[in-house]
Amino acid sequence: MQHRKNVSEGLMRGLFLASACVCIFAVGVICYFLFANGLPFFAEYSVWDFITGTEWAPTRGIFGILPMIVGSFLVTFGALLLGAPIGVLTAILMARFAAKPVVKIMKPAIALLAGIPSVVYGFFGLKLLVPFTRNTLGGNGLSMFVASILLAIMILPTIIQTSEAAINAVPNSYYEGSLAMGATHESSVFRAIVPAAKSGIVSGIVLGIGRAIGETTAILMVAGNQARMPTGILSGVRTLTVNVLLEMGYAADLHRESLIATGVVLFVIVMAINFLFSFINRRRVMQ
Amino acid sequence: MKLRSFTALLLILTLALGLTALAAQFDAAQTITVVSREEGSGTRGAFVELTGVLAKDAAGKEKDNTYSEAIISNGTNLVLTTVADNQAGIGYASLSSVMHNDTVKALKVEGVEASTENILNGTYKIARPFNVVTKGELTDELAIDFMAFVMSKEGQAIVSEDGLVSGATDETPSYEAANKSGSLTVGGSTSVAPVMELLAEAYMELNPEAKIEVQSTGSSAGVTGALDGTYGIGMASRLLKDSEVEKGAQPIVIGTDGIAVVVNLANPVEDITVEQVRQVFTGEVTTWDALSK
Repeated sequence: MQHRKNVSEGLMRGLFLASACVCIFAVGVICYFLFANGLPFFAEYSVWDFITGTEWAPTRGIFGILPMIVGSFLVTFGALLLGAPIGVLTAILMARFAAKPVVKIMKPAIALLAGIPSVVYGFFGLKLLVPFTRNTLGGNGLSMFVASILLAIMILPTIIQTSEAAINAVPNSYYEGSLAMGATHESSVFRAIVPAAKSGIVSGIVLGIGRAIGETTAILMVAGNQARMPTGILSGVRTLTVNVLLEMGYAADLHRESLIATGVVLFVIVMAINFLFSFINRRRVMQ
Repeated sequence: MKLRSFTALLLILTLALGLTALAAQFDAAQTITVVSREEGSGTRGAFVELTGVLAKDAAGKEKDNTYSEAIISNGTNLVLTTVADNQAGIGYASLSSVMHNDTVKALKVEGVEASTENILNGTYKIARPFNVVTKGELTDELAIDFMAFVMSKEGQAIVSEDGLVSGATDETPSYEAANKSGSLTVGGSTSVAPVMELLAEAYMELNPEAKIEVQSTGSSAGVTGALDGTYGIGMASRLLKDSEVEKGAQPIVIGTDGIAVVVNLANPVEDITVEQVRQVFTGEVTTWDALSK
């Protein structure tokens, strides 16, 4: 009996370990694939010319992705500018201000927002936001502006859900203590609870950045995708992700390798952002 | 309270719709919205070459001079949707995908309508071949029989019905069903895929035991797939690259496609010259009224 228990315990331990390994294995394989396929490109084309070049003409062998790097950052920044305040304030509202029945409607609505496929967002952008922008603000509508709005909506669920969880995780004693000192409900929430939930809110925003910088399909449909330095908020832009998806179908030889190398650059940028924020977070915890 | 905000929303929607309706008058002074395809696309390659957008630069090297402000769409449907939604839009797509599409208007080029007859008699200027690609000689029985069907009188009839120009003559043999079975994957160019799907359907009707799957992934993916065995037969809507031929890729022309220049239905322009197409797509001309002069 004891023996059988040991065996099943060992088996289960192995199963759990194997499950955990699948995840790490997947990350490892993706890293290996990306670098093994992307790095040979840099043997034929200088890394410096690749990331600082402003001209993208793959059929002539000119691969400069600076416009796409700048484009990715601008679109993501625009999305954050809109999405972060809306998301954080919504989370505060849901956690501390809204009546129960309202929260009951909002929660599934936000979960639904997170579940909408990005091609549907793209279609919504293309059929509604693009003509609206064209008719009211000018330009042809396929623009950085629409891409940023669309991304802002797409990252809302990530920011709201993470921030709300962080705010709810703050012990109620913070709030009660603040009330006992004579503070109002509003200032207790904004001065005591929200600062205590700051690191959770920041990680929500970082997750949002990750989602925004990695989004592809919806952006491809509304951004215009011109491979030149961004010229204005109402003109088009091409992001790193869009560059890969846009040209992968027809690319051959060095052109194809340059697209995988674009993926490598994107991967490095996303990793750098993650490390930067975990570094900031760790320093705050240490203080 | 709720009713009031609902009414307000309705009002805003009506206003927005009204604005759209106002814009329905065509304004020739507006900036042309140029819609192109991504670099590497077979349609773009054929289009820039046939219209002179691709030209030799000072150093004698060929350069694709597509306007840097041109919107880049990665598919025929996205080009058509963009042009259909934007009054100032101009784009291009293979004639076969435009023929059955009444959401955009195909322009005459040099006074010649984009039609099958005009491509056959050589008067329509913007045309290119549709290739299927194999690795060396075909060995798979189903693939051989399918190709026999594609090149037969029946297969070529489907090709020309779809708006392509067929090389078939009176001597082209008829196809006799050999009741083949098994499965075959045909993959590649998004431009060739629609006609290939029609061919596959007709073939499977004659050979109920056979299963032919058509995947539209892009010309390069089609050639790569044919070479590495992912596809029994690949499709490409451009000439093969030297590097691909060296690896053993062989093209067979199944038909010739015209590329139509399309504009929005509200656009009064009917006719355009190849030179004007070049000017628009290189950004030399940026408004519709400048074009008509």
